[in-house]
Amino acid sequence: MAGKIFISIDRLTSTLEKLSAKIDLWIPASLQPDKRELTGFVPYHAGIVPILDRQSTLPPKKILLPQVETLLRFEYRKDPRNPLKGSVSLDDKTEVRPALVFGARPCDAKAFLTLDRVFTNGPYVDPYYLERRRNTLFATLVCRQADEACFCSSVGSGPADTEGSDFRVIPVDGGYVVDALTEKAQSLFNSLGDTPTQHQEAQARQVVEKTSQHRVGDLDLAGSTGAFRKRFEEDDYWQEMAAQCLSCGICTHVCPTCYCFTITDEIKNLHGERLRSWDSCMFYQYSLEASGHNPRPSKLNRYRNRVGHKFSYIPEKYDGLIGCCGCGRCIRSCPVSIDIRQIVGRLKENACESE
Amino acid sequence: MTDSNPYSTAATAEAAEQGLKILGFLCNWCSYGGADTAGVCRFRQPTDLRIVRIPCTGRMDPLFVAKSLIYGVDGVLVSGCHPKDCHYAVGNLHARRRLEVLKSFLSFMSIDARRFHYAWVSASEGQRWQQVVTEFSEQIHRLGPNLGVRKQPGENLKPLDGQKQITIPCPA
Amino acid sequence: METDTMQLHKLVDEALPELDTMIGWAASYDPLRTTPIFIREAKSIPRLIWSPFCAQNLTGYLVKPPALKPADKHKRIGICVKGCDSRSLVALIQEKFVTRDRLRIFGIPCRGTVDWRQVMRQVPLSHVRSAKVEDNLLIVDDAGGTHKLNLEDVLARKCLRCRYPNPVVYDALIGEPTVSRITPEDIYRDVEALEKRPLEERLAFWQSELDRCMRCYACRNACPLCVCQERCIAETRDPKWLTQRMGIPEKFLFHFIHAIHLAGRCTECGECERVCPMEIPVALMKEKLNKIMEEMLGYVAGLDPTAIPPLLTFNPSETGI
Repeated sequence: MAGKIFISIDRLTSTLEKLSAKIDLWIPASLQPDKRELTGFVPYHAGIVPILDRQSTLPPKKILLPQVETLLRFEYRKDPRNPLKGSVSLDDKTEVRPALVFGARPCDAKAFLTLDRVFTNGPYVDPYYLERRRNTLFATLVCRQADEACFCSSVGSGPADTEGSDFRVIPVDGGYVVDALTEKAQSLFNSLGDTPTQHQEAQARQVVEKTSQHRVGDLDLAGSTGAFRKRFEEDDYWQEMAAQCLSCGICTHVCPTCYCFTITDEIKNLHGERLRSWDSCMFYQYSLEASGHNPRPSKLNRYRNRVGHKFSYIPEKYDGLIGCCGCGRCIRSCPVSIDIRQIVGRLKENACESE
Repeated sequence: MTDSNPYSTAATAEAAEQGLKILGFLCNWCSYGGADTAGVCRFRQPTDLRIVRIPCTGRMDPLFVAKSLIYGVDGVLVSGCHPKDCHYAVGNLHARRRLEVLKSFLSFMSIDARRFHYAWVSASEGQRWQQVVTEFSEQIHRLGPNLGVRKQPGENLKPLDGQKQITIPCPA
Repeated sequence: METDTMQLHKLVDEALPELDTMIGWAASYDPLRTTPIFIREAKSIPRLIWSPFCAQNLTGYLVKPPALKPADKHKRIGICVKGCDSRSLVALIQEKFVTRDRLRIFGIPCRGTVDWRQVMRQVPLSHVRSAKVEDNLLIVDDAGGTHKLNLEDVLARKCLRCRYPNPVVYDALIGEPTVSRITPEDIYRDVEALEKRPLEERLAFWQSELDRCMRCYACRNACPLCVCQERCIAETRDPKWLTQRMGIPEKFLFHFIHAIHLAGRCTECGECERVCPMEIPVALMKEKLNKIMEEMLGYVAGLDPTAIPPLLTFNPSETGI
């Protein structure tokens, strides 16, 4: 183990600068100069200011699952000497470079565990996602900025969780103690900082311990999977819970665990690309079939599906893994303030009574 | 030369050498006839104009113009019957409002409104057609190639390299 | 505010027997925001509130699928509207998406709604406990203590330029009529500020703003007039107006489609800008189109239920264009 290093606040920028020379570096930063609180993960460049004092508005999901990705490029060719013989050339080469995501939170890192199960487990492995996953490291903050919409502890994570992370970044007085957690992380931070003093190490231990004990969110999900199945057909419940929904799709776009996508061929004359792009189960068109039939015609069906997917289908399919990381972004960004915690929490009401 | 991205700057430069691309939406009855008359009379005009025949300017969706200019067409010209002389009675009266609104809006959206022009040319006005086309083409040449709204240059896709060639016989 | 809420409860209680559903606002998990509520029983009426945190435009629920229509043809739908929302209602009536006599409209004069993002920009809050508006101050209590902010610094941008704070159509009025915050000459000042800048600067502005766009379509889905959202041409593959590419031209074209289809119809309810998760000033484009409508054709949307939006019609003797 490379052990720990200490990066002081005033050396943070120069350290990130040196890191970015070794590897593609992503940090949370403001997406618009006059809107400091609107943040997302961006590639590091000189002059950028990392924002590490709050959860980012947009998660780092796009680093492993880009919003638009070219799966392959194709071109039809004709041979003038032999007009009956045409050919298609295909190119699926993608360039994946090693990358480090610095400043993610435990909820962000945990979210990728759901994506891992979907894209890399089982007989059909997504090579595009897998390649990026293998080449990306996560340096995750120990989080002390939970707000009233956060509930990571309720979904099997927590503010000091390290699952899915390669480094743990612990805020202490005057800077950060960075702790390497995995084999592949070892050499990256060498010579980028000083060895922490005894006092700093002790403080780091204290921060981790105290944060681990902090329970973020008080949603009780025990039995929710079954409760959901019981209330599946109860239209009145879903009407009461989701009538305000606009089907706007914001929740799925800011969610770190949402991965639904569509594949389209974009062709111009004789060449084109096959693109994979984010889609949203909240849209009518998402489940619209070529025949014109739509198995989820109503926004209530679609909202029910969203809740079921994260809190019932994924746990059933993947050994109890909850398909939500408790980051609260959907709650904060929802224009009509729908609170998914409330909807999941109340699944068990009345469900007990009807037994 | 094949460029997988039709909107790259290389493709634009190539097009500029060949002449600028001006799209013309002509109503079938008056303006298309007017252009035909100009041809019959052998009036000479710049050749950048590429004509799309529509039944009536009432068919004009402002979005045709918008999409063209956003994606880098150098100029768009719309021409129809004179107001109150529409073959379908009222089509160009609708078009008049829509296109005038569009002209103001384009500029606000930072698309040079001088790249869009609309005119009324009737079927017998061959000389006038020649004049309209010549003046507009000259204006577009003065303005130069349209780069659309893309950020220059790095936003585009990388060109193909190292392709895997697979031969699939096409059905006859 | 409290008296207004009580008056609202009383009027809704009286009207409830003839209503199929009452649409209003209720408290949410965050004191700075409300959530729409659909009331069918008298016992839920106490949850209705009226405050400067009631930002949502509720009229969309009357037309977006599944559109709320009374099951019993003798009953009506009750709805709360602010000044801006009432203009949306007029626009929907104009285009015959709703019938006036199937509605029971509770109109509420409004001095502006609080934009929680603006609040967070002034003071980064955590665990907000309570929030209220007194005179021209927003008073917020959070884990860090009590904060007092100037109301004008935290109102939504649309509220600062609101010309119609009083509902233009209603059956019952809650509270007293109020005055506009802005003079008629200043209505389009945000648009004019952008118009004054040279073309290159405008291009840089739009490129920078629209680059953040995720094409989540929230602006379209929140707009009460975009009733064809399930068949929107921005998403159809046949005809294919837009590819799935996330380049600037695609984002530009989507916003062009959305704005142009609202030309002469948009009533500036501001929902598009409020819901945008990337805080893009999308309403500016519609404001410019409305400015063109007003200057060129003398038309303001959402005022006269019998008017026809100008791009849906023509005037043969029009001159100057």
